[in-house]
Amino acid sequence: MSTRRSRLELIFDILLAIQNKGGRIKPTHLMYKSNLSHKLLNSYLDELIGKEMILIQEEIVRKKKTPNKVVLITDKGLGFLAEFRRMREFTDAFGL
Amino acid sequence: MPQLFNTPLWFNGLDLIFASVVFIISLLIAAYSWRVYNITREKRFSYFSLAFILISLSLLVQVITSSAVYFEDVRVAADTILRPAIGADREYSTLFYHAGFFLEMASLLGGLLLIYLISQKARERLKKFDELTQMALFVYLILLISFVASFKYVVFYLTGAVLLGLIVLNYYRAYLTTEKRNTYLVMSAFLMLFMSYISFILIVFLPEFYIIGQLFQLLGFMVLLYTYNKITRRN
Repeated sequence: MSTRRSRLELIFDILLAIQNKGGRIKPTHLMYKSNLSHKLLNSYLDELIGKEMILIQEEIVRKKKTPNKVVLITDKGLGFLAEFRRMREFTDAFGL
Repeated sequence: MPQLFNTPLWFNGLDLIFASVVFIISLLIAAYSWRVYNITREKRFSYFSLAFILISLSLLVQVITSSAVYFEDVRVAADTILRPAIGADREYSTLFYHAGFFLEMASLLGGLLLIYLISQKARERLKKFDELTQMALFVYLILLISFVASFKYVVFYLTGAVLLGLIVLNYYRAYLTTEKRNTYLVMSAFLMLFMSYISFILIVFLPEFYIIGQLFQLLGFMVLLYTYNKITRRN
């Protein structure tokens, strides 16, 4: 049975899902990929926007009246992913 | 030139260079662990950082006390600083060395004990109250051992070897679980440190074992540095 993910692991999973989709993803896809509820995902997205790790961009689609929202990962977000991977490697290596 | 633990005279001073290198490596690992603690706020990282700070402190004290043993200039400088506080006619050099060795041993054994406790997996740990009482008992034993060891050095090396042996076993188990090369490297590093303490125990039979022990210690920390570099340089 998998254990509960920590706050940092959730942030990592969200950012990783964006990175795996080439740096941009639709919010609904992100919700499925990161396995989070709509409410929880929004609270994390607000936090990540505040920390400048992601951006929300609106894309105009011809046949739709309302524009589509897309989540983009920033350089700071990519930096966090690299740092988290290093931290996980450190944790595994030193048996922490 | 005075000798430490009946070690070969030509090695006096070289061991200080070794200790300084090990001191810097310990500080690097402590600093990175503290950085991880600042991001995650998980206590295990702060304890791990504290463990390596204690090891660094031990090495710093070792460099100071050994320098006072080896070099006349350092002895004179220490005397100039301490003499006004102690009094003109008091003999204090024995106390100075015993206090130095005590601090060196207590902090090193404390650091190793912390690494041993952290390297145990969380599920195998006891409840918080039991853990605290167990820690208090361990701290008492470490202080007692360090006190006895500042008169009989072999006790210190024996205790260090036992702690390092247990740490190696913990990392071996961790390696069997993760099967990661970095875990293997950390286990190998602690195995070398264990070998160094075994060599230090054997000084009573042959003084040259001090050099072998120092080389093993340096090699162990170099492997730790290599692993640290490998992890922190990763993109």
